[in-house]
Amino acid sequence: MSFDDIKESAAMAVSTVRANKLRSALTILGVGIGVVTLTFMVSIIQGLNKAFAEQIESLGSNTIFVSKFDPSFGRPPNNEELHRKDITVEDAEAIRTEAAENIDSVAPIRRKIAAGLRYADKETDTPILFGVTPEYEYTLSQYVERGRFVTENDMRGRENVAILAQDVVRALFPNEDPIGKEIKIEGSPFRVVGVMETLGNFFGQSRDNSVFIPLPTFDKYWRDIEPPLVVFFIILRPHTRAHVPPAMDQITDVLRRRRQVPAGAKNNFGVSSQDSLLDFYNQLTGATWLVLTAISFVALMIGGIGVMNIMLVSVTERTKEIGIRKAVGATRANILWQFLIEAVVLTGLGGVAGLAVGELASVLMNAYSPLPAFVPLWAILVGVGISASVGIVFGLWPAWKAARLDPIEALRYE
Amino acid sequence: MSEALLEMESPTTEEANGVTEETSIVNGNGLDAEALERGDLLAHDGVPAALISMRDIWRTYEMGTEKLHALRGVSFDVQRGEYLAIIGPSGSGKSTLMNLIGCLDTPSQGRYWINSKLVSEMEDDELARIRNQEIGFVFQTFNLLARATALHNVELPLIYAGVSAADRHERAQRSLRAVELGDRMTHRPNELSGGQRQRVAIARALVNNPSILLADEPTGALDSKTSIEIMNLFEKLHSEGNTIIVVTHEHDIAARAHRVISIRDGNIESDERIK
Repeated sequence: MSFDDIKESAAMAVSTVRANKLRSALTILGVGIGVVTLTFMVSIIQGLNKAFAEQIESLGSNTIFVSKFDPSFGRPPNNEELHRKDITVEDAEAIRTEAAENIDSVAPIRRKIAAGLRYADKETDTPILFGVTPEYEYTLSQYVERGRFVTENDMRGRENVAILAQDVVRALFPNEDPIGKEIKIEGSPFRVVGVMETLGNFFGQSRDNSVFIPLPTFDKYWRDIEPPLVVFFIILRPHTRAHVPPAMDQITDVLRRRRQVPAGAKNNFGVSSQDSLLDFYNQLTGATWLVLTAISFVALMIGGIGVMNIMLVSVTERTKEIGIRKAVGATRANILWQFLIEAVVLTGLGGVAGLAVGELASVLMNAYSPLPAFVPLWAILVGVGISASVGIVFGLWPAWKAARLDPIEALRYE
Repeated sequence: MSEALLEMESPTTEEANGVTEETSIVNGNGLDAEALERGDLLAHDGVPAALISMRDIWRTYEMGTEKLHALRGVSFDVQRGEYLAIIGPSGSGKSTLMNLIGCLDTPSQGRYWINSKLVSEMEDDELARIRNQEIGFVFQTFNLLARATALHNVELPLIYAGVSAADRHERAQRSLRAVELGDRMTHRPNELSGGQRQRVAIARALVNNPSILLADEPTGALDSKTSIEIMNLFEKLHSEGNTIIVVTHEHDIAARAHRVISIRDGNIESDERIK
């Protein structure tokens, strides 16, 4: 099989496609739909993955998250989880001491939705109220823009001071400097001492609709409210990314000991990192991936059967041509390759058409829908490769039939 | 196959052994005594030096339990540069013989050499190579690729011979000019007259410099004036040294040849030199 043979076969294939425009177009469409399905599915999955990874990274670099609930994505905690013993500030301090070799800083955080936040005659709806320590800034890489953050003095004195995030500033202080002003949180007076930098969105939810107060002050007012209305969690910052896995192991050890989890029993708390969240997410999407891939392959199979059908028709129609080619010296391999290449040209065209449509669809999706879509280079290569393989697999039988024709019978065929 | 059907008969073991009154007695080398009498030369080890050597060729078709013999022990030689006509009525076995000479088929029994190569023992792909290198076919219905230009049709044997594109073009053009179609190279068959189509086919047959130009009823689809043109072309090609074998049922076409083999009922009825 020389390059000239391939060129000759490819040229013949293109001329056959041209000579049977409608038939070829329908076949190409069949394969195209298969490839579109494949690329479209891949692009959605890839887009979601990419968006998710970006969101996780936006949480700050390499933090570890500890709470009494198992890690989840928006799933409300179940009954068992709700009745677990609370994680405490003392737990956070124990971790700080025992995992010091891996951990830079520890930020215990209590959180609730503030029922009312007022300044003068203005009110803002349901901001999230965080009870935090001074280490919060460094641990989460979220800093004040103006004024100051929570200090040790605020902690000791359980001061009624608050740091507002941008959405709250916009709602309550459209034309004023908030610093030094007095606001009311669920009726209690707080003095604004600082304004946070813009924090952005996390999964479509603004993180700028927040108010930060010292943790002891939070406990002064909202100590006895049960989860899930108030949740307590700890965020920890390891020295580097490499310290994440040992830190997680140490944290797990400390908590199991302090919470007296029997050996062999499941953790009654959750420890997760960005990487473990990503792993968990990939597990969740893995099954979806499999189903979508299977669907794509079924679509490709249907396209392939179309190709086989049309190639069988083509072989029958061109029996005489095969006879002529054999008479002038074509070997079985020559004929086999000719029809195989023809099938590959058909499916290849289908593949290219499908990729073009898939790419267009993902561009449209990005432009007009909130779902992110993204076609990676490997998907393009795989798409073309798969469509060519479909040509080989489904073109083989018709090509073999053509190659085996008896030249005398073939020449006599009208 | 329809020709062969006319000859259907019950098989007998004698016939399967290939001994009938018309078959020559075969010697140990697979050469018949008659050929040796004629003083044919042997190249080496009993391989005939003639361009074509057929020895006791049988072609038997099995139709269920019936066996029918399209050829019953045919033997003859063709020397380089001969102009031979094979004539016979339909059903005589001449088409079967043509398929065998052209290496489109293999004999059920007997030996066949082209250019000292024993083609009767060859497999499909080896036969394809022989067809490509030794045989130039000219068919009654031209058998050109309808979608290809005259030039591409003529290039076809060269493609399968593995000739490079530039070489191919040049040789195909030369071949087309030799049959006076230098101005029709980019025409497709449906843009050409019958005579022109047959000349494209002849150009295709000659482009690989084959040993034999094998024509099957070459004028069967042409009017008488064009037939004469084509037969004149054959004569010219013969005078240039080509070996030509024409299979026909028309006596006036056969009369143009220098030697006529007449086939009837699967046997050679006569083998005469007429010029």
